[in-house]
Amino acid sequence: MAADNAPRRPRRPAGKRAPWARVRHPVPKALILAALACYSWIAAGTEPFTRNALLVVLAPGLVLAVIAYGRPPERIPPPERMDVAGFSYWAICIVALFEWEASAFRDNALWWHPSLTDLIDPMLGTHPVKAMAILIWLLSGWALVRR
Amino acid sequence: MATRVITIIGFAVLILALFVLEYLGRRPDTRIPTLGEWLGYVMRPRAGRLLVLLGWLWLGWHYFSR
Repeated sequence: MAADNAPRRPRRPAGKRAPWARVRHPVPKALILAALACYSWIAAGTEPFTRNALLVVLAPGLVLAVIAYGRPPERIPPPERMDVAGFSYWAICIVALFEWEASAFRDNALWWHPSLTDLIDPMLGTHPVKAMAILIWLLSGWALVRR
Repeated sequence: MATRVITIIGFAVLILALFVLEYLGRRPDTRIPTLGEWLGYVMRPRAGRLLVLLGWLWLGWHYFSR
């Protein structure tokens, strides 16, 4: 991580579009999105703790790994330097989140101290919500590969 | 107040704080990086890239396979 006096990030000039806003081939992108939505819908229907449930997660992971290391897409350039003070706000929040989660496990009383997973799992109980969550997970994986 | 409610409020506050940081990171002339920026920075070395992608895969396994 770079020094605390890292220069502030330059802003995009007015009128210039963000990299993610450039749509070169809108039809294929729409098709890909539709295919991912279909995949998410099917994946959301798998029974947890089964081989199929494992495969629907491993398959996109494998595809992304092949893309990331075999045919990497045009990547969004990472910043050359990172402001330590600015990043520390993120670090504090993330560490606090892990600590809050760990305290739930430590007390071993899941009703009184539910973990984040215990709170999220019931939300993923309905098929459309789970499908949407899987779609967001897939898109975030693609966003990570482009970084 | 029940301990359960305090725990849930704690999670809500921390997750809300992450969204606030993302918002602040997108303001002009800020020193706070956005999530994408610091993840991109962490993913510059190959090991960082591998760890972040493994974390993404773990999230999928944890929430959708189990």
